[in-house]
Amino acid sequence: MFQNSTGAKTMSVHVQIEEFHRPRDLAQAVEILSRFGRKASVIAGGTDVLPLRPGVKKMDNINHLVDISKLGLTYLEKETDCIRIGAATHINMIGASPLFLSGPYRALSEAANGHSTTTIRNRATVGGNLCNASPCADFALPLLVLDAILVAAGPKGKREIPIRDFFKGPNYMALETDEVLLEIRIPQCSEKAGAAFVKLRRQQTAIDMAVVNVATFLICHKGRCEVARIALGAVGPIAFRAKKAESVLAGAEINKEIIEEAAAAAAKEARPIDDIRATAAYRKKMVGVLVRRSLENSIRRCG
Amino acid sequence: MKKIDIKIQVNGTWHELTVDPGERLVDVLRDQLDLTGTKEGCGEGECGACTVNLNGKAVLSCLMLAVQADNCTILTIEGLQKGPELHPLQKAFVGEAAVQCGYCTPGMIMAANALVNNEPEVTDDIIRQHLSNNLCRCTGYEGPVKAVLKAAREIEEGTHV
Repeated sequence: MFQNSTGAKTMSVHVQIEEFHRPRDLAQAVEILSRFGRKASVIAGGTDVLPLRPGVKKMDNINHLVDISKLGLTYLEKETDCIRIGAATHINMIGASPLFLSGPYRALSEAANGHSTTTIRNRATVGGNLCNASPCADFALPLLVLDAILVAAGPKGKREIPIRDFFKGPNYMALETDEVLLEIRIPQCSEKAGAAFVKLRRQQTAIDMAVVNVATFLICHKGRCEVARIALGAVGPIAFRAKKAESVLAGAEINKEIIEEAAAAAAKEARPIDDIRATAAYRKKMVGVLVRRSLENSIRRCG
Repeated sequence: MKKIDIKIQVNGTWHELTVDPGERLVDVLRDQLDLTGTKEGCGEGECGACTVNLNGKAVLSCLMLAVQADNCTILTIEGLQKGPELHPLQKAFVGEAAVQCGYCTPGMIMAANALVNNEPEVTDDIIRQHLSNNLCRCTGYEGPVKAVLKAAREIEEGTHV
C-alpha cells in the first residue's frame, strides 16, 4: 500500500479486470467465453496475458479472464500413432520430457529450452505460446515442420486445425473468441526422420525474443532427401513454411552445396521488417545461416 | 469488480485473503502481508527482482495474479532462514560480497534456492543459465555466481545446519 497525492491509501492494482473466472469444466469455460466475447481472454500461465496491461498493446477491452489451468489440460502422452500435448502444459515440462530427447522430436525440446528463461517457463504454457500468435513464437516452428494438429473446443464441439492454418497475422489466430485450445497432436514420424530448432537472439533474457528462429525436418535415405520441411519465424507477419527452399531439397542428393542452395532460397523467401531487435537485411542474412545449421543438425539426427 | 477469496501458504503460514481479480501475487505479498523483501522491478517479467518460490519452483510474482496462487505454497526471502543462522545462500551472498544496492538480491537468492533444491549437480554454467532472468546493474554476476556455487556445495555436503 502507498500514499497517493491526496493522502488516501490505495492498493496497487496493475491489471484492470472485472472478474477472474474459474470454470469447473470445459463446458463452463466455453459458456463464459461465449457470454463475454471480445471482453474475455483465456488465461493459463498468464505470462503473455498479464504484461498486456491497459494502455499497453491489445488488452484494452479485456476485463474478464477465464482460467483453463485447472481443466486437466496439463499432460504429455505418447500414443501409438501420435504424441499428445495438453495445451496448458508448462514449457519446462516439454524441455525436461524424455519424449523429446531424440530424433525429430528433439526440435521440441530445443524450442522449449530456448524459450524465454527458466523462471518464465515454469508458468508459460505451450498453448499460450501458440495462441498469442507472435510471429516469433518458438513453438510455432517445430510444430509446423512436424505437421502438428491442434484440437480446439467451442460451443459446437471439438474441431481439429492443422497448424499451417492456425496463424492468421501478428497476434491473430484461427480460434473464435469462444473457443479453447485443448491439445497439440504430433503425428508419429518416420524412423528415418530428423529435425532441429535453431534460434538467434541477443541475450538469454525474456525481453530478447528471437531475431530469427528456424526449424527444419528431413527424411533422408541412403544420402537422398525424401522429405524436407523448413519453417521460418520472426521474418514475416506469421511463422511460415519456406516451400521454395523445401523444393530445392526434396528428392535431391544431400551434400554441402544443396544445403547452401536451400539456405539461400529460404533467405529469399523471408520477408522481415526493421525493428528494435534487428534490421531486415540482417535478419535475411541470418535466415541463411540458421537454416544451414538447422539442416546440418537435422541430417545428423536422421535414423 | 468481483473480489475473490483465496488461501495461500506463505513461509509456512496459511493465509485466508480477499483479493481483487487483477491483484498480482507481488501486490498481495507486499501490500497485504507486508513482506516487502520481494521487490518489483520492471513489472513485466524481464528483471526477476520479484522472483519467489511457488510449490518449490522459481516464478515471477509480477507475472502472476494472486488468485492463480490459490492453494499454493509460497516461499519468499523472509522465509528462507530457518533458526538463528542465515540460510547458506544468504551467508554466501554476504561472504562473496555479491550484493551492492541489494534490489535484485532477494529475487536472485530465491531463483538460486529453487535451483539448488531441484538440481542434483549445480555447475557454474547451470547457475549462469538459471540466473539469466535476474538482472543486476551494479555488481556484475561474478559474485552471485560464486556465492551460489559455494552455497550449493555446502548444501550438498550437508555442512550447514
